[in-house]
Amino acid sequence: MNPLIFTTILMTVLLGTMIVMMSSHWLMIWIGFEMNLLAIIPILMKKYNPRTMEASTKYFLTQATASMLLMMAIIINLMHSGQWTITKVFNPTASIIMTSALAMKLGLTPFHFWVPEVTQGISLTSGLILLTWQKLAPMSILYQISPSINLNILLTMAVLSILVGGWGGLNQTQLRKIMAYSSIAHMGWMTAVLVYSPTLTMLNMLIYIMMTLTMFMLFIQSSSTTTLSLSHTWNKTPLTTTLILITLLSMGGLPPLSGFMPKWMIIQELTKNSSIILPTLMAIMALLNLYFYMRLTYSTSLTMFPSTNNMKMKWQFETKQITLLPPLIVMSSLLLPLTPMLSILD
Amino acid sequence: MALVHKLLNGTCILRKCPKPSVASYPFLGTRFADYCSSSLQKPAPVPGKASSQRKTEGDLQGHHQRDVALDITCPEEKPEVSFDKAIKDELKNHFWRLKDDIVNRWIGPEGRPLHEVLLEQARVVWKFRGKEDLDKWIVTSDKTIGGRSEAFLKMGKNNQSALLYGTLSSDTPQDGESSRSGYCAMISRIPRGPFERKRSYDWSQFNTLYLRVRGDGRPWMVNIREDTDIIQRKNQMYSYFMFTRGGPYWQDVKIPFSKFFFSNQGRIRDAQYQLLLDKFWRLGSPRSRCLHIWCLVSVHFLACSQPPSCCILMAEREQVLVFLLIKALIPS
Repeated sequence: MNPLIFTTILMTVLLGTMIVMMSSHWLMIWIGFEMNLLAIIPILMKKYNPRTMEASTKYFLTQATASMLLMMAIIINLMHSGQWTITKVFNPTASIIMTSALAMKLGLTPFHFWVPEVTQGISLTSGLILLTWQKLAPMSILYQISPSINLNILLTMAVLSILVGGWGGLNQTQLRKIMAYSSIAHMGWMTAVLVYSPTLTMLNMLIYIMMTLTMFMLFIQSSSTTTLSLSHTWNKTPLTTTLILITLLSMGGLPPLSGFMPKWMIIQELTKNSSIILPTLMAIMALLNLYFYMRLTYSTSLTMFPSTNNMKMKWQFETKQITLLPPLIVMSSLLLPLTPMLSILD
Repeated sequence: MALVHKLLNGTCILRKCPKPSVASYPFLGTRFADYCSSSLQKPAPVPGKASSQRKTEGDLQGHHQRDVALDITCPEEKPEVSFDKAIKDELKNHFWRLKDDIVNRWIGPEGRPLHEVLLEQARVVWKFRGKEDLDKWIVTSDKTIGGRSEAFLKMGKNNQSALLYGTLSSDTPQDGESSRSGYCAMISRIPRGPFERKRSYDWSQFNTLYLRVRGDGRPWMVNIREDTDIIQRKNQMYSYFMFTRGGPYWQDVKIPFSKFFFSNQGRIRDAQYQLLLDKFWRLGSPRSRCLHIWCLVSVHFLACSQPPSCCILMAEREQVLVFLLIKALIPS
């Protein structure tokens, strides 16, 4: 793609998300979503083949449907409140429709079916943008309307997302699908605590983005898209293999890594609000995620997986330099000791 | 929907009514066309036509008749199936498969441990050891569009192989649209999960298609289709040629997946794309472009493998043009 055109498209994606996050007018928010959607499509189809075309089409259809639902909710809210400003959503119907629309954009259950299909069909770089940057805009709107969201619906979606994210990722050998199901599960954790403490949702989002960025960059550096190709990184870059181990365990929420922090805070917050069964169920279902992360680390880092080819070195056509990788790895694994500083959030 | 169709089929067998045709279900689409067209149950031919076909077979391939009994006519089966029992059995079967699906999830991908999946270098996907293996294939010919070709699939000697045989006719159907005709094919059925959910094969750790066949000396094609949800992609496939030697010995054909070239609606596209194997859907082997002629191929097994020497990702455009040239030179 022409670098100037690519820069323009990328700036449009950034601008769309910024408009959504900074606007207080519902119509501008909707416009921001549409700008973001239309600009991300050429980025998803950057390496064109029929599979990326199909993935982009699926993404466009689901996001356009979600935008339509959002617009309908905005209009219903306008009819009842007479205002375009994003404040409390007065009408319960509008609130439910809005929640469904944003859940569809985020990939929460039961609107999660597009996430693995789209993520698998696009390149690693596009998948990175899809699973990190594209979550910011809908999450910011959920944050702003959190006082008026139906708690039962949100918690049901959250718990089901954690379950589906764990169950669906169990037998995957494709790394992008594993990351997609991981994203569904993490979105579940974020939305579970949204009504109780929106700040923790933002903290969880920040740490999730750091960890997902790190994982994707490690995959891009080793040009791995399947478990088998990842298991051959030990004979080329043993340090990367170790870092994959640490990052995966952090994503699984194991202490003393960074990924444990949001889970700990969320369980603590839910327990403070007299909710015992829900965090117990969430913690148990998170073990499913941990299981397939552990299986990935077993084949990649904990064992020297046998090579099934005569070549000792993994095939790689060009050496990729990822500039932000070292600080991201540090932040996605060593931030847990900073947890006492979170008291400033209170 | 597919489940309802299967149940209706069961009802029709009981009540001895004509089998529902695709034409009576205009909204079902091409996938139901595939589901319906299974010529494993051999049709009763027109008497005059059968005798002329036998004459043709006698003239051209007389010695083959000693090896293979070409029984074109087959008795109409009249199974006794009760409607209620059919529904109950079908539901029980689907719930049983759902239970197996859930249990197998704990074991690993496709019900096998992960290390076994990661370490395997070859996997036999289709083999022919019994009638149930034939049910995994659909045999079609241009008869579905009004042509006169016929093809059948039966078990070979000692139940160790499958035999695809029949006659090919290049007489075009008199519909005013078709200018060419004459093909037959055996196509693998779409893998289905419980409640007829669509599945696909994940062959991403393999790079070669391995077939053991014993053909009739004519070129065949091997087509691969990817799983897709978009109807515009239903005619896109990846193809390659398989040149058979004509027996009597088995022939091992190894085709790297990188050799397959991309085509849409039968036309090779200028832009070629890599065949992505994580959503492998169907394998087909058609034969076409011949006059009134007899075709025969035995298949022992079809597998995928990962030879270490094969590392190319995608066929280059020049290779596509070379193979087109070879196809034109070989006499049908």
